[in-house]
Amino acid sequence: MHGRLIHKSDILKIVDHLRKSFIVYAPFVGRGRDSFFDEVTDKNINTIAIHVANPYYPPKRFVLPHIQKLFKITTGDAPAIEPVEQDEKIAVFGMRSCDVEGVFHTDRFFLGNAFGDGYYEQLRKNLFIVNMVCTDTGSDIDEDCFCVCADAGPATKAHFDLQLMDLHDESGDFIAVAGTLAGEELLSLPFFHNASPHHVARRKAVLSEVRKHFKTATSWYSAATNFITRGKISDATWKKVGDRCLECGGCSYVCPACTCFTVTDRPTGNNTFDRVRVWDSCALSGFTRMAGGHNPRKAVHDRRNRRFFRKLGHYFIQREFTMACVGCGRCVRVCHGDIGMPSVVEILRRETAGTVSKEIL
Amino acid sequence: MSCKKENIYLPGIAVVEEVRDEIRDVKTFFWHFEDPVPDKSFRSFMPGQFAMVSIFGAGEIAISLPSSPTEDRLFFTTRRVGSSTGMMHKLKPGDRFAVRGPYGNGFPMKQYEGRNLIVVAGGIGLIPLRSVIIYALHNRSRYGKIQVFYGSRTPKDLMYMENLKQWQADKGFECYLTVDKAEDEWEKNVGVVGSLFKQPGVEMPLDNTTVFVCGPPIMFRFVLADLTKMGFKDGNMVSTLERYMKCGVGKCGHCCIGQAYVCTDGPIFTLEQIRMLGEVI
Repeated sequence: MHGRLIHKSDILKIVDHLRKSFIVYAPFVGRGRDSFFDEVTDKNINTIAIHVANPYYPPKRFVLPHIQKLFKITTGDAPAIEPVEQDEKIAVFGMRSCDVEGVFHTDRFFLGNAFGDGYYEQLRKNLFIVNMVCTDTGSDIDEDCFCVCADAGPATKAHFDLQLMDLHDESGDFIAVAGTLAGEELLSLPFFHNASPHHVARRKAVLSEVRKHFKTATSWYSAATNFITRGKISDATWKKVGDRCLECGGCSYVCPACTCFTVTDRPTGNNTFDRVRVWDSCALSGFTRMAGGHNPRKAVHDRRNRRFFRKLGHYFIQREFTMACVGCGRCVRVCHGDIGMPSVVEILRRETAGTVSKEIL
Repeated sequence: MSCKKENIYLPGIAVVEEVRDEIRDVKTFFWHFEDPVPDKSFRSFMPGQFAMVSIFGAGEIAISLPSSPTEDRLFFTTRRVGSSTGMMHKLKPGDRFAVRGPYGNGFPMKQYEGRNLIVVAGGIGLIPLRSVIIYALHNRSRYGKIQVFYGSRTPKDLMYMENLKQWQADKGFECYLTVDKAEDEWEKNVGVVGSLFKQPGVEMPLDNTTVFVCGPPIMFRFVLADLTKMGFKDGNMVSTLERYMKCGVGKCGHCCIGQAYVCTDGPIFTLEQIRMLGEVI
């Protein structure tokens, strides 16, 4: 592996350098556990958090914005539909491995199928990703993280431009690896210095130590995929999952791999509209409601199994190369009904094993 | 592939040529693209495909294509049910709206060559199947026996009256009509569509036959039960699924059922596939 070293006191120089050509976003600490990605300014640059709990609001929004203008529409006698371009260049500093894998999944979804999404491609092309490996078991990783089970972390193998990892030794060095040519260019900047085989070995040692600290084990993932794909999960089981859903849609909004959106025309004047796309969620009852009110998926459990079909169905894994779950643990944290991914995998395991424990009945 | 060059969501401006009242709450809109280039490429669609239609101020909806690529004129037929179709029904000749497409897999009409075709439609379920009938009649020699069974609530709810009259007179194939409730001067069958199958003189070939079924859910279920009892196999029965759609190109996720996107993997599925998808009608 071709690695370079950077001292922790020089880390923010990367941000400074990126700010010359990008709008840079980085994680900051809020109150309590709360953290968020915000635009880096001269004022806040020194408060960028290196070891921090992953923000709930995923960096997916830099490729698939929460609300995105697609067209400006003018109606009247000579109507016109004008595409809205977004050409700002954004760099995200400190994106976690799970979210990097999330971006890879959405890449495959929006660009890898028959219809390529130009809006997504434009944002993706202009995005620079500095991946920070989660190594601090006190802050980076919490009890809901399960990226090890989803093959997404703690250190993703690709799909970033630059990857940084704290070596946690007395030298205070971080090891840096480039994932693209653009990332490689950065490594030649003067604040990077050479790494030795000792540092590469240290990187390995840190990673294998970190792996021991993941508490959620969803080792039954592959079997869950198998059972879901073959339609072997009974309606009664899905009903149990559905009964716990409060239909808030939170799981979709925090998920780095969820892609559903709705499209709506918003009036901006007497005869002008903005056609915007907005994140949508299969948990919401109107998601499949058709004109006239007919809804093929009326019951909440019909909608809940949809989420897991889409995420774990073999057909979709083949299409997108990865399952639509990166193990970030956000759905676990936001779900009021405790049906985040690991809980559901666990419910499926128990139900299919025929041994239903009392607490989930 | 930036959003300026090749934009999968960009519709072309279309002009309403003519509006016809079909039946109560149902209208047919003849239209063409303002720009001749998309107009020409659009016309290569297959029966069973659909288009995304923008009604300015209301939004974009998925509408099936009732016209056949073998016909000169493009049109949509819609029932007024929601806000978009409500606005659509106010369109007058010369008004503008926007269209993109065609989308979906469509009926594999080439693959059906040499086979008998049986079309079973109920109510406005005839809209997507009209395309199949016109296409098959245009290429009459390529198909075996062609039978159409069409039912509606009352004689006033029969759609595409002009076509129905032509089809009744056509000796090249069989067209049977029925209504649930007869009114004066109705001389044909009274009863559900399935009752037509048992009429004297009706012979439906079991072998080498593809059956097209489209109609309201209740009719769908009864017709399928009848056909299955008669010995038709799930793999030889096809239908078109209807779902809420926001993009038509497999991105928005609304029409995703089981392991398929209705917009890109469908909307045409065999009954065998529909049963695999899990969530029915």
